[in-house]
Amino acid sequence: VNSPGDGFAVRLSDPGTHWQVADPDRLARAIRLRAVQMVAAHGYGYLGQALSCAELVAALLAVARPGADRLVCSPGHYVIAFYAAAAEVGLIPEHLLGDYGQDGSPLEAIGTERSPLFDYVGGSLGQGLSAAAGFALSDRLRGRDARTFVLISDGELEEGQVWEAAMFAAHHRLTSLTVLVDANNSQVDGPVDTITTIEPMASKWESFGWAPTELDGHDLPAVTAALVAARQASRPAALICRTSTRHGLDCLPPDADGHFIKLPPGLAAAAIAELTARLERASD
Amino acid sequence: VTDLAHQAVRQPPYPTVLKPYGQGLVELAARRADVLCLSGDLTRQCEVDLFQQSYPDRFINAGMAEANMIGIAAALARCGHVPFVHTFGVFATRRPLDQIINAVAYPALPVRIVGFMPGISSPGGPSHQAIDDVALMRCVPGMTVIDVADAVQARQACDAIVDLPGPVYLRLRRGETPVIFDQHHRLALDRADVLTSGADVALFAAGMMLAPSLAAAAVLARHGLGVSVVSVPVIKPLDAATVARVASGCRVVLTAENHLITGGLGSAVAEVLAECGVASPLHRIGLRDTFAEGAGTMRYLFGKYGQSTQSVVDAAWQALAMAGAPPASGVVAVGPGEYSPV
Repeated sequence: VNSPGDGFAVRLSDPGTHWQVADPDRLARAIRLRAVQMVAAHGYGYLGQALSCAELVAALLAVARPGADRLVCSPGHYVIAFYAAAAEVGLIPEHLLGDYGQDGSPLEAIGTERSPLFDYVGGSLGQGLSAAAGFALSDRLRGRDARTFVLISDGELEEGQVWEAAMFAAHHRLTSLTVLVDANNSQVDGPVDTITTIEPMASKWESFGWAPTELDGHDLPAVTAALVAARQASRPAALICRTSTRHGLDCLPPDADGHFIKLPPGLAAAAIAELTARLERASD
Repeated sequence: VTDLAHQAVRQPPYPTVLKPYGQGLVELAARRADVLCLSGDLTRQCEVDLFQQSYPDRFINAGMAEANMIGIAAALARCGHVPFVHTFGVFATRRPLDQIINAVAYPALPVRIVGFMPGISSPGGPSHQAIDDVALMRCVPGMTVIDVADAVQARQACDAIVDLPGPVYLRLRRGETPVIFDQHHRLALDRADVLTSGADVALFAAGMMLAPSLAAAAVLARHGLGVSVVSVPVIKPLDAATVARVASGCRVVLTAENHLITGGLGSAVAEVLAECGVASPLHRIGLRDTFAEGAGTMRYLFGKYGQSTQSVVDAAWQALAMAGAPPASGVVAVGPGEYSPV
């Protein structure tokens, strides 16, 4: 189904796919810098998503078993962060990031069937958890030892299908599932909590039969520990990761739209300088 | 009615059988370990209680959650399983349309979506009457759309579709299913079957409208009119060559479908006629830009909404500009367990 061309991984779960994360904290910083560079070429884009999920993606790549565990990105707008990370760990050629979202690029700005890395990426929101539950079910039917990690955005929890899938997964005891909710309180029309009350998230997941953990989504050791702990859960696990679409980039103006950040050349240069300095500091 | 080789059909009243599709799926599953069965809380109604009893480990009840059911099926297909998904046609197509398009059709996955209770065969009112399912599925890229006519075809449908590379929507009637074709009939996905020959009317019929179309052809034949009845079980991809050939050999063209006349068989035939330059007038039989209603019986609805044998006779009569009132179609008496069209 995927036809990404030469030189990069089709899916992280494909046998033979290899990568290593030596320093997850550095990877998170690198995701931010590369995402800014990818968005700067357009002057606007899904930077807020990368800023909010950088630690989640870094932790995921550090914990997932190459060539086995599955990756589902339910909100296709988040592919920017995974592409940035994949280039950083050598899964896709670096030069492709420069074409991200451009005409003819295999790295489309919103995930599609052509997108590398994922077992499933959704463009129409709210569908990823169903796909993940299907993968987990297939793995159980086949006796395949693999976990399925699903990134979901908090805004997606407004879609009923997420809760259909949550009920299904718990009923069928799909314990190989781990959901990471990027709770950045951001959707197109503004803060999620001004549009629909989706709280209390943790108790919703719990009442649907899941094992929820609420944590600071920018606390990399905490996210990593929660991902590792989820392996032992007797129920499918949901990590409610509290994040911000501005985290780790101080130069953004206070009114930046988290869903679709404008990045004119001056601001882009300031952001690149800031994030480059942070990256170099992290390498010390 | 017919003498064309391999396409013999019975005379009404037709015998009926129960669960021909469900038996066909169990027979397929015996040979194919990759076949999985999903149900949306309509297991007995969709005949897959037979599968559930035979292969409980390969049966997945997704409950009343069609969007998730399609998403689950899509992921299973991506992993190499062949999922057959079952619910009523209304719920199979209207509720999860976005999931079918994005999670199934766009990646061209072999999910088999089986929608029961087509058109106004349900007396349950507009919420339960799939009058637009063929139209919705026909516009989905890569989707094969099948509307079988009888129990012989229903029983063979699973075998016929299991190895198609992309998604399939299969439309099936519920309950006592008439046996119209003889036992030698083979459901072919690449051709429409010409069942009778005549040069006055080309009558293309799908699904439950085949029986009234055959009955109407017999009435018209008694009045000296020749009708080519063509059974069209596969609405997409349509056998355009047969449609164009039969239509160009007749004075008028009729389509008969248990569905809105927009978007389904009638539209598909119209597209072929226009693209091939066949100049015959076209009359489409089916629901005309309307919802139907709840009622006590299917027979009442088929009569009221123009899907009866008489409706087909009247349409042919008017299309041919025949003098006088159209002949009465009459009613074939049925015994217990038998079926004849309204």
